[in-house]
Amino acid sequence: MTHVVVDPVTRIEGHLRIEAEVDGGAVQDAWSSSTMFRGIEAILKGRDPRDAWAFTQRICGVCTTVHAITSIRAVENAIGAEPPPNARLLRNLIMASQMVQDHVVHFYHLHALDWVDIVSALSADPAATAGLAQSISDWPLSSVSYFTGVRNRVQQFVERGQLGPFGNAYWGHSAYRLPPEANLMAVAHYLEALDWQRDFIRIHAVLGGKNPHLQSFLVGGMATPLDPDKQASINMTSIAFMQGLIRKAKTFVEKVYIPDLLAVASFYKDWAGYGKGVGNYLVYGEYPEADGANAPLFLPSGVIRNGDLSTVEPLDPAKITEYVTHSWYDYEAGDGEGIHPSLGETSPNYTGPQPPYDRLDIEGKYSWLKAPRYDGLPMEVGPLSRMLVAYGSGHPRVQELVGYALGQLGVGAEALFSTLGRVAARGLETLVLAEKLEDWLMELADNMGRGELEIADNSKWDPSNWPEECTGAGFHEAPRGALGHWVHIKKGEIARYQCVVPSTWNAGPRDAMGQAGPYEAAIIGNPVADPEQPLEILRTVHSFDPCMACGVHVLDPKGRELVKVRVQ
Amino acid sequence: MVRSENLLILGLGNLLCGDDGLGVAAVEEIHRRYRLPDGVRVLDGGTLGLTLLAHFEDAEDVILVDAIQADAPAGSLVRLEGDEVAPAVRNRLSVHQIGVADLLDGLRLLDAFPQRLILLGLVPEKMELEIALSDPVGSNLQLLVAEIVKEAARMGYDLHSRDTHEEAVSDTSDIAAGAGVGLR
Repeated sequence: MTHVVVDPVTRIEGHLRIEAEVDGGAVQDAWSSSTMFRGIEAILKGRDPRDAWAFTQRICGVCTTVHAITSIRAVENAIGAEPPPNARLLRNLIMASQMVQDHVVHFYHLHALDWVDIVSALSADPAATAGLAQSISDWPLSSVSYFTGVRNRVQQFVERGQLGPFGNAYWGHSAYRLPPEANLMAVAHYLEALDWQRDFIRIHAVLGGKNPHLQSFLVGGMATPLDPDKQASINMTSIAFMQGLIRKAKTFVEKVYIPDLLAVASFYKDWAGYGKGVGNYLVYGEYPEADGANAPLFLPSGVIRNGDLSTVEPLDPAKITEYVTHSWYDYEAGDGEGIHPSLGETSPNYTGPQPPYDRLDIEGKYSWLKAPRYDGLPMEVGPLSRMLVAYGSGHPRVQELVGYALGQLGVGAEALFSTLGRVAARGLETLVLAEKLEDWLMELADNMGRGELEIADNSKWDPSNWPEECTGAGFHEAPRGALGHWVHIKKGEIARYQCVVPSTWNAGPRDAMGQAGPYEAAIIGNPVADPEQPLEILRTVHSFDPCMACGVHVLDPKGRELVKVRVQ
Repeated sequence: MVRSENLLILGLGNLLCGDDGLGVAAVEEIHRRYRLPDGVRVLDGGTLGLTLLAHFEDAEDVILVDAIQADAPAGSLVRLEGDEVAPAVRNRLSVHQIGVADLLDGLRLLDAFPQRLILLGLVPEKMELEIALSDPVGSNLQLLVAEIVKEAARMGYDLHSRDTHEEAVSDTSDIAAGAGVGLR
């Protein structure tokens, strides 16, 4: 039995660590561990709930908006503030544009190189590449001279030793299967996506200010002034600017991302048979289409058990519990219990080995992540869950797109429950949202045109209008999945705060019953052609879009440490 | 030196992780204590990855401010320039596996690499989850700020100190309400 350690999967030292046992060319068992303690709960205690979002938005390096929104929703839920329609639309625009940008960046800049071989791209024939590109899309950048230029540019980059993002992979691995021209096309689009995302995210500057971290969030609504005629506000010029960006995004996703996704997937159909994971899917739902607590959601909430798409259960947040049996925490009532996040405890108890170490104590506690469960079951969260719940709930556009993708690949619905299905679902979700963004923008413009400029419910801003003690929960569908914050407010201060983040659902360890978490379950059974280069494990882990909080890293003038792969 | 067109001073790091956030703390201090001339932007980049690419757009000159691990006592000032910068920031990674070094590579790939690139920072002591700088770093933060201002001046950009009785601002965002919730 070969024991493979992939540490750290995200190249962030001290974050995600995967251990896998490999025998007969396949993973027999796997453990997922976060080796970094996150104690945001302690940092928030005693603070003004209206400021909590500014702290929580620093939890995750990339998705600053998602923890801000969720925190604001939790506090609003606790104090009874009701954001007006314009705030809902502004938030939908911020959330969905974040999702679209994040998914594109994930596909091209994090995940693509698990499937695309750069070295092979350098040997591609530009004419064959142009032929391929033109056969799958009418995107204009597809001439022979264009692909020649891209190939030469990347070649120079490699020759100067500036491998950069291309320098850290298993080039030439036998599991890479794209022909050179498909590799070159993907590399060209890697570069285009880099440029495109830089342009598209300017939508956030309009909605949230010039800072990289959006400044326009506010408990009770938004702080983005609306006025059709004023320059310092979101006006008709900014609406037109955003409309331009949204249309470009839709075109890019339609003509580049989706065709690339299907082209790449067509060479890796066997990955529809790997990486299923736990087969249970949980979605809080997102993008309210009306106001109030029970507003319909554009992407519905729900729970699917055992891959049964015919039955989408209504979600009941009361059924969520977290276990610490295999996590470095103690519960007052004992480590075999599951506790609801509203009563969550964060008492660290590190029992693991002192780093650097070779193996985790997998029989005991082995992760800083808790193990969230729904009705006692592990649940996958994220784009695949959202697309499956929408599909099972009869969302017309999602049904249409899922049917289209399955048809193009010539596979059945069972292919969805896999590593490949996860990658495909993210792309389809990107398209659904890129198409939807303009509707919300036009609704906002209509409101502005009618003189409806209200952006916040200020009636609950003053803590003297709050109950002496109150609790609330905020839910959001972040790019990586279901995100929940629970807050308990006493005398105007935060008494207790708990976050259950998507990567805790997906990357969490085993629970009291010994059930594996989604990463762990999904890795088991994956082929591993070369234990020294476990590319296949990375494919499945990356298909979840791993996110470990708090990118703690100091710089080292001595240079980089590559992904450590040790074979024991 | 001839005054250049566009300077970006970008603070990096996570405010929630002790000294890791020293770059962000330094740019907050610059906002509080200095008036920025046209063509100078001072931003808190946090731990964002490729999203920061948009903020480099037309910057000819860039000063990155960050915690820098070096063979020197905590709080020591470190300065790196040009080609020294990229290898030193290899480990500054976002959750997307795309870090500052990759960001710099991205700029190169897009032919948008700054003409002058400086990395200034302090050697950190503690990077545990807390919103506070350690003593050696905290007591040298003003030194770092002064060094950033001097560096900008050498590049041809003059940041003017605000008089103590004048307005002290905590935020320069163009959005008024709800902005600039102090993180300390």
